[in-house]
Amino acid sequence: MKRALKAAIGILATVLVATACGGGAAQSAASGTPRDGGDLTFLIDSLGDTWIPNNSAISSFQGHIWGHVTDKLVYVDENGEASPWIAESWEQNPEATEFTLHLRQGVTFSDGTPVDAAAVVANLDMWSRGDATRGINPIGLFPKTYRSSQAVDPATVTVSFSSPTLGFIPTLGYHGSILISPKSLALPAEQQADLSNDIGSGPYVVESWKDDDSVVLRKRPDYDWAPAALSHQGPARIDSITYKLVGEQQVRTSSVQSNQADVAYNPSPKELETFKAQGFQVAAPRYLGFVNGFAINTKVAPFDDVKVRQALQHGIDRDQILSTVYTPDWLAAQSFIQSNVPGATDHSTTFAHDAAKAAALLDEAGWAPGPDGVRTKNGTPLALTLYPNPYLATSKAVDELIAQQLRGLGFQVDIQAYDVVTYGQRVKVGGETVPAYEITRSFIDAGTVGGVLTDANKGENWFGLGQTDAKLTDLATSIAGASDPTARDAQLDELQGYVLDQGYFVPITQIVQRLYLQSPRVHDVTYNGIAYANYYTAWIGDPA
Amino acid sequence: MTGYRGFALRRGGQAVVVVLLAYVFTFWVISVLPGDPVTTTLRNPQNGFTEEEIARIVSYYGLDRPVLVQLLESLGRFLTGDLGVSLRSNRSVADMIGEVLPSTLVLAASSLAIAVVLSFLVAFGVQYLPKPLSTALRSVPSLFLSVPGFLIGLLLIQVFSFDLGLFRAIDTDGPVATFFAALTLGIWVSAQIAEVLIANLDHEAAQDYAGVARSRGLGQVRLLLRHLLKPSALPVVTVLALMIGEVLGGAVITEAVFGRTGIGSLVERSVASQDLPVLQAVVTLAAVVFVVVNLLADLVYPLLDPRVTLQRRPDVGAAA
Repeated sequence: MKRALKAAIGILATVLVATACGGGAAQSAASGTPRDGGDLTFLIDSLGDTWIPNNSAISSFQGHIWGHVTDKLVYVDENGEASPWIAESWEQNPEATEFTLHLRQGVTFSDGTPVDAAAVVANLDMWSRGDATRGINPIGLFPKTYRSSQAVDPATVTVSFSSPTLGFIPTLGYHGSILISPKSLALPAEQQADLSNDIGSGPYVVESWKDDDSVVLRKRPDYDWAPAALSHQGPARIDSITYKLVGEQQVRTSSVQSNQADVAYNPSPKELETFKAQGFQVAAPRYLGFVNGFAINTKVAPFDDVKVRQALQHGIDRDQILSTVYTPDWLAAQSFIQSNVPGATDHSTTFAHDAAKAAALLDEAGWAPGPDGVRTKNGTPLALTLYPNPYLATSKAVDELIAQQLRGLGFQVDIQAYDVVTYGQRVKVGGETVPAYEITRSFIDAGTVGGVLTDANKGENWFGLGQTDAKLTDLATSIAGASDPTARDAQLDELQGYVLDQGYFVPITQIVQRLYLQSPRVHDVTYNGIAYANYYTAWIGDPA
Repeated sequence: MTGYRGFALRRGGQAVVVVLLAYVFTFWVISVLPGDPVTTTLRNPQNGFTEEEIARIVSYYGLDRPVLVQLLESLGRFLTGDLGVSLRSNRSVADMIGEVLPSTLVLAASSLAIAVVLSFLVAFGVQYLPKPLSTALRSVPSLFLSVPGFLIGLLLIQVFSFDLGLFRAIDTDGPVATFFAALTLGIWVSAQIAEVLIANLDHEAAQDYAGVARSRGLGQVRLLLRHLLKPSALPVVTVLALMIGEVLGGAVITEAVFGRTGIGSLVERSVASQDLPVLQAVVTLAAVVFVVVNLLADLVYPLLDPRVTLQRRPDVGAAA
């Protein structure tokens, strides 16, 4: 059924491209003077699950709406640079355990409540602890070292942590850390789940919404506290933004192509070049986080052998993946973190594609080619099962290509694809049957890296090493608990080199998880550190 | 009258049992599957929750208790008229269904209307039109039935929205978009009604009384409208009653293609995330609709054909 549907859509796409070309493609007008007014229609493939701010905030879909309805304490741009927003300035003690935030004055939530120290404390407490009695979750990525915060005066908040937490300030710019009116936070979960009750201080307010259908935002005329880092200040320019849910990818993109809508979210990567040729804008902003790649479980044989892990690294032809599955908007991995993360360094030579070297490593490790092309050692075949990550749409295609490449080297590769629900149940990082867990994860501060690699401080133990690798544990723990950014960058560089050298992580490509197809009449869109499109700075020009 | 009352009571009792069974069965099916929406959301690697945090939240929703306890609690809630709260959106299930029901009802009603009109047109055409045309028309229902609904839907959107610009594909609840969505569903439904109608008209037209009427000089149109239509329409009522269920099912695909928010899209989302309370409510609603519609069909039957009651209950037939 699904296959048939895809085939039909494919046929339609061809028809469509033919008609669109015939109609003569419009060219993007040169940027003129920004102007006020106009309505923007954004077609999205899902609106996520619940609207309880704490429970929903990590979801990639609701982030689009929260980004316009709410403000954050700190702004983080697409290069991971933190700059003032509602927090005008901040200080920290040398140990990075005490922080003082100085708040911008005169900021109000759209229900009239001031965004003052008391409101910020209420939000910090809610992010870190949630409210178990009301079914409100904490924000998973909020530093677990949080102790408490105090309102010193209406414009000053002090925050304390049980151990050094350099990641605190960048976390305030993460998509979970949205400032919500204390009145909304006090509501029971069932009422917070109604988006109209979730009041923020952002440049837009919710005018209406319908579950799984649409959200209409209207500009707030008295908004005057945008991050200084943005090119625009004061109220937003576009009058209203309508997020409309359209499940069919082809209907989303065709609607933009026929000028029925302005932006289509997540078009097919394969079609991006066609859209560009037709004069449409395409944005593929990268997020800050880990690259797409495999965390190798060293407890699963034969990946306990460093030579086999290295063979895996050298056996993958990343250029072929980039040119077959992706477009030039995707970049090759240089490390196991994205190259726009502050502190990321280039280690691409460590894991460069080299089939001969990979074969030699396997020979050295004692894996001899068998008659059917599969290498064996003491009668055991060189087997690997890949589990495509359902959170990344292209994962299955990438894994199929990798399987093909590795089979050429003598691996016996199986691919086991699950839907999101089953995947969550069966495929876990470090699981006994999961030799290679496919990573796709964003973070806002490189401190996260130190927290997940080993099992120190309840870490996720990505490589199944526990704390047996003393060098890895040392580096990871000191990065997680660092108090000096410069020293941390040096350690981060060493950690990247070590992890890749040991073959603990096999990078594939850098991740672009959010794609936008946009009408040429929309100008000056900003993308933040998590690759969400921000239409606060945007304006609508003449129809093309 | 006592016979009829007994019959009504028996049918009513059966209806209640069917609805309750549907409720329990849905619960059972979903509980057998691994996973639940709460843990699935929490286990999204983006979220970074610790195992302790996950366990605490799961226990808040009571999902860590024995299945039987959960079932009894859910059944108790249902019997007091409380449909519960969605595990996915945290909103009241009654609210969620109330929000999407009107859109699906409009779609279902207009697609049934279109289907009835279409099928009668086809069936009349088969009776009236000259030989080669009517033969060709006979194969139309099979054609309608074999072309997948989503293909018709996508083609309609492509031609009438993207090419001709008759409606905005994303203005999903506008009258024109609704018409084309209803047409997509109606074409498919009409096939089955037309099939039955054609067969019955053929059967009735071959009866002696039709021959007599023809020999007395009655025109084709009058013959059809006065004599053939009523007996032929009888099985159509049965098919129509069954079709209402099919329309609810077919709405899933039509709603997905046209981007409409309705019961279909709600079911799709809820199945994908195993949102038990919503699924139980929707399945129960579907069971209620089925039971009520079939009850109505049974009641309409005797009105169209007196023989139905006369054969079954000769003593009360005269009274009815």
